[in-house]
Amino acid sequence: MLSTDLRENVLVVRVEEKRIDASKAPAFKDEMTRCIEAGQNQIVLDLSQVDFIDSSGLGALVTCLKRLGPKGSLAVAGATGAVSRLFTLTRMDRVFALHPNVDAAVEQLSA
Amino acid sequence: MKIRHILLILTAFLGAALLVAVAFQIRDELLGYQTAERMAASNTVRERLLLGTAALASERSQTYVLLIGQRSEASGVLELRDMRRQVDDLLNAAEREITATQASLSNTGSSLATVSRIRREIGTLRQQADEFLGAEDARGEQFAPRWFQEATRLVGELQSSRMTILQRERPLDPVLRTEANLRAFGAILSENIARNQALMSRALGSPSVVGGLETDVISQNAGRAELAWELIDGQLAVPLSESVKGSVLKTHESYSATFAPLQRSLLAALLGKVAPAIGPEEWYDVAGRELSNIALMQQEILRSTRERLESELSRARRSVALWSALLLLGAAAVLASILVVRLRVVRPLENLSQAMLRLADNDLEISLPRLARADEIGEMSDALRVFKANAIQRRRTQNEKQVLHARLREAYGQLQKDLEAAAVIQQTMLPPSARIDGIEYHGLFRPSSLIAGDTYNVVRRTDGTVGFFQVDVAGHGAAAALVSVACHHALSQTILTRTQGTPLEAIAVQINEEWPEDLPYFTMILGEIDSRSQRASIVQAGHPSPLVIRADGSIEMIGEGGFPVGMLPFASYERLEFDLGPGDRLFIYSDGLVEAEDQDGEQFSETRLRNLVRDTAAAPSPVLLGRLDDALRNWRGSETLDDDLSVLMLERLPERIPANAVD
Repeated sequence: MLSTDLRENVLVVRVEEKRIDASKAPAFKDEMTRCIEAGQNQIVLDLSQVDFIDSSGLGALVTCLKRLGPKGSLAVAGATGAVSRLFTLTRMDRVFALHPNVDAAVEQLSA
Repeated sequence: MKIRHILLILTAFLGAALLVAVAFQIRDELLGYQTAERMAASNTVRERLLLGTAALASERSQTYVLLIGQRSEASGVLELRDMRRQVDDLLNAAEREITATQASLSNTGSSLATVSRIRREIGTLRQQADEFLGAEDARGEQFAPRWFQEATRLVGELQSSRMTILQRERPLDPVLRTEANLRAFGAILSENIARNQALMSRALGSPSVVGGLETDVISQNAGRAELAWELIDGQLAVPLSESVKGSVLKTHESYSATFAPLQRSLLAALLGKVAPAIGPEEWYDVAGRELSNIALMQQEILRSTRERLESELSRARRSVALWSALLLLGAAAVLASILVVRLRVVRPLENLSQAMLRLADNDLEISLPRLARADEIGEMSDALRVFKANAIQRRRTQNEKQVLHARLREAYGQLQKDLEAAAVIQQTMLPPSARIDGIEYHGLFRPSSLIAGDTYNVVRRTDGTVGFFQVDVAGHGAAAALVSVACHHALSQTILTRTQGTPLEAIAVQINEEWPEDLPYFTMILGEIDSRSQRASIVQAGHPSPLVIRADGSIEMIGEGGFPVGMLPFASYERLEFDLGPGDRLFIYSDGLVEAEDQDGEQFSETRLRNLVRDTAAAPSPVLLGRLDDALRNWRGSETLDDDLSVLMLERLPERIPANAVD
């Protein structure tokens, strides 16, 4: 469900699903955990394909953020519509660095 | 048609074909044997007749010379008696043989009749001769020619009866045919010599009275004898046995060397009226010796024929025996192969087929035939054994599965019952529609499964405020439900026991800080309405922003968001204060309401919610909630939900309405 691409020491993780809901959240969390445990701490999560994230999906995102710890950073790119509104509603826009697209996120992280 | 029938019919058919072929061969061999037997029988009869004819010719000569008185009576009569006995014995023997071979020879009746008649006539002729033999006068001599003529006729008849038999049973074998011809010619030769033995004796006895007629007859006889020799010689081209050929050549040589010249000189003397070189007695003996030479030759030929026939007969017998043995062997082989096919193929196949049918019928109690064989049937049997083992294993697995399934069903039933009970309890935790201190409230609660992660409550504090909350625990199902129950209790208690003046956001901060990290987070609206003033306040913790439906029908959205509880320990919260005048209503809902999807995956959405609320704003809260519920069911197109859904509506009543419970 995820595809990864390493750009200038930043791991771009693209979610190839339209939804991150209760049925997808555990797999998402596992795959992300593997990326993090492989040593990546600069991660851009590309959510441009994602239309909807439910409470379980949001929980998984936060878990990943916590697992990354204070050394790493997890930026979110391409969140629009319902996903963007969810980030605002739950104040996650203050926790995750949100970027309009991957390039901007990568630029920000690699700077 | 079953295999057993096909195999048995095939085997039987092959067997029958074999047996029929062998039987035909045996029939041929039997026919051959019968032919050989018939030939042998015919030959025996003809042998006796041939010897009998020769003996009768001798008797004729002896009687003849006695009748004309050329032999001394006493010894001659004794010899004659022997000769007659010999003739009788031989003809008797011939009759016996004919009778004995009645079964194999055709037309024996006429032959028997002929021989009997000839014997009778011989008997009559002998009686007449005997009368003259004892007489001391010339009557004997007068009777002699008649005797000779009659006896010759009988000799001829015997000859022809023999030839008749030969014609009837003509041998196909060239050697046998030649030998038969040799005998026939030999018989002619012998007869002519025998005739001349008698006639020449008489002529020599009284050469002076011999007439031209008599010498002509003698000459003719001698010529016939020569002719017979030519015929005999003509037969020698055929490969005969050495003994026969040798005997014939030896006899012819002696005939040509001594007898023929003597006969010629005597005949010349008789014609020339010259005194012959020898007397009648001497001639008689010379002729007798020649006759016995020829008889020896005939014996040799007879012996050869007999041996040949016997060997043919024994060959035919052996052949019949051989083919009969083959027939028996064939029959035994057919029986054995039928037996083998039955025991080794048909019966095991039938047993296997029955076992297979019963196995196919799921009869696993059958005991399979135990065949220690390396052939296909053995392999089939082994495979069947494996089938059975597999079937038993399958049945066992199936039984285990059924047991497991039954247990699961039971456990599931139990769980379902537990959940149903829990659902009832959860429902009773929710406050029924009521009025407290001028506040009326109504709820809509629809879990996605039996129990929900959503909950809400309205609590009346002693200080005149009405506290309320709505909680949506992340996820849904039993875990979320348990957490929601815990939240329900904790929040209700906190609202009740909160020290006056403690801000709402402090409660949220405290719960958030104390929330165990392992538990799922939740979103909530925590709020309070002061029953004495127009004010209300809420803390929004990640929950959808509530709507305020003003008494005039306008709609406002309160709040822009906030951290969920239990997600981040450092989260901060803020309190939002707003007016809630008489007739104003606060509409709090969980995200399950706006995120409910139709069959194409489109969410119900905030816009549709606001439209519906705006359109129904004039109606009382229960009606609005009912419409909302209906609209959602229509939207979903079914009774089920993907996420828990709850709505809590609080209304400040117009002041003229007394504050007491409505439900």
